[in-house]
Amino acid sequence: MNRLLRHHRYALLVAVRRLLAQPFSSLANILVIALTLAIPILAASILISAQPVARQVSVSPEVTLFLKHDATLASAEKTAQRLRADYPSQIESVRITPRAEAYAALRKDPNWSDALATLPDNPLPDAVIITLKEIPDMAASTANLIKDWKTWDDVDLVQHDSAWVRRLEAILHFARIGLGLLAVGVALVVLATVFNTVRLQALTQREEIAVARLVGATEAFVRRPFLYLGALTGGVAGLAAVVIAAGALSPLNSALARLANTYGTHLQLQLPDAVSLLLSVLVVAILGALAARWSVTRHTRF
Amino acid sequence: MIEFQHVFKSYGRGRNILADINFRIEPGEFIFVSGPSGAGKSTLLKLIGGLEPPSRGSITVNNQRIDKMPPRARPYLRRAVGVILQDTHLLYDRSAMLNVTLPLTVMGLDNRTASNRARAALEKVGLLGKEDLKPIELSGGEQQRLAIARAIVNRPSILIVDEPTANLDHETAQRIMDVFRDFNRVGVTTLIASHDLSLMANYATRTLLIEAGRFSDFPGVAA
Repeated sequence: MNRLLRHHRYALLVAVRRLLAQPFSSLANILVIALTLAIPILAASILISAQPVARQVSVSPEVTLFLKHDATLASAEKTAQRLRADYPSQIESVRITPRAEAYAALRKDPNWSDALATLPDNPLPDAVIITLKEIPDMAASTANLIKDWKTWDDVDLVQHDSAWVRRLEAILHFARIGLGLLAVGVALVVLATVFNTVRLQALTQREEIAVARLVGATEAFVRRPFLYLGALTGGVAGLAAVVIAAGALSPLNSALARLANTYGTHLQLQLPDAVSLLLSVLVVAILGALAARWSVTRHTRF
Repeated sequence: MIEFQHVFKSYGRGRNILADINFRIEPGEFIFVSGPSGAGKSTLLKLIGGLEPPSRGSITVNNQRIDKMPPRARPYLRRAVGVILQDTHLLYDRSAMLNVTLPLTVMGLDNRTASNRARAALEKVGLLGKEDLKPIELSGGEQQRLAIARAIVNRPSILIVDEPTANLDHETAQRIMDVFRDFNRVGVTTLIASHDLSLMANYATRTLLIEAGRFSDFPGVAA
C-alpha cells in the first residue's frame, strides 16, 4: 500500500515538474481548454436563469374570455356553466376571475398601482379562464373554439395565453440540446488538446522513459505521470473556466440589469450550483486523464 | 545462473544477428563477451537483461525462462539484473543522486532508505561528495561510474556491462574494471562486452567470443 502511495506521489511530482518545466506551453494548453469550457458554463448560466421565468407561468393550454364591461358577474357564472355543459370533452376546468379581484391583485403590483390610482374606477372586465384538455391536433381545435366563443353575446375578447410560454419552453428545449452538443464539442477539445500535449511530452521524455524501463519500471509506472499530467491539465483548466465564467457574468449582469429595468423587472444570470461546477471540473480532469492514457499508450511504444 | 539453448535473434525478416547460441554461466562468474563490432555482443547482453525477447530458443536467467515470460513480468527481472549500456543513458537534467535513486523509486522504496542506499552505491564507485552534481558536470569516467552506481544500487545478482571502457583513458578504464571486479568478488555474476584485449588479458576468467552471430567459449587467463 505504502509502495503504491509512494509511486503515486512520485508520479504527481513528476507531472507537476513537467508542467512547470514548460510554463508558457502548459499555460497555453490550460487556457485553450478553459476558454472553451467557459462557453458552456456561461450558456448553462443563461439557461438556469431563464428556466424560472418559464416555470412561473402555466404551460397548460389556457384561453381567457374577457367579458364586456357592462356584463354582470352573473353573466360570467352563466358563461362558465355553458362552457362546462357544452364542451366537456375539450375543457379541463373553468374558473372565474371577478373584475374586483383582478383589480385588487393589480393594485398590489407597484408597477401598476400608480397608473390605476389615476383612473376614476375599475377598468378591468370579468374574466372566465378556461384550461383546455391536451388533445391531438390541439392547435386547430383551439382555433375553432376561439372562433365560436368570440361570437357569444357577453364575450368582448378571447385571448390564448399559453402560446408564448410554449414557445419559450420550445426555445429552452432547443437550447438544452444545443448545450449538450456544446458539451460534446468541449469534451473533444479537451481530448485533442491533452492528447497532443502528452504526445509531445512523451517524445521529449523519451530518454527518461527508456531509462526507467532499463532499471525495471513497469508500464504503469511509466504511464502514471502522464495520466496525472492529463488530469492536472484538465482539472486546472476546469477551475480556470469557472473563474473566467464568473468574471464574464459580472459585466453581463450589469448590462442585463439595465435592460431588465426598462421592462420594470429584475433579472440576473448566475453560475450553476457548486456541486454541478465541481462535477464538471472532475469530468474534465477525468477526460484529461483518459486522453493522456490513450496518447501515452500510443506514443511510448519504443 | 544464465543458460542459453539454441538461441536465435533476428530483427524482422533480416539475417540472424545471433544463430544457435548455447552456453551456461554459473552464479558468481566473471565473463567477457568479445568479438568484432556488429558481431552481436550488445544483442546478447540485451537478451540476458530481458530488454529484448529472442526470436527462437530458450533463455533462463535466475531460474526464469525469459523467452516464455509475459512482457509485464520482464520489468521485475530487470530489477535483478543491473544493466550498463555503452551509452550510459543518464538523465542529464537530474543530479547524480536522483539518477542513482531512480531504480529504488521504481521499486517503491521510501526516500530515506533510497537515499542511504544511493549514498552507499556512490561511495562504492568513488563519487560520494558529488551527489548534487548533474552528469554534465562530471567527467566521462565519472559518468561511467555513475551509471555503475545506478546499476548496482538495487543489489542485482547479475551485472551486464556493454563496452564500459570505450573512450576512456587506460588508468580510468583500470579503475572501472576494478570496481566490477570488487562486485564480482561479493558474488555478483558479471558479464562484460568488450573488444579490449588488454582488459581481457588482465581480468577475464572466461571469454565468450562471438563472430558473425556464432559463438565460441574460451577459458580466460586471469583467475
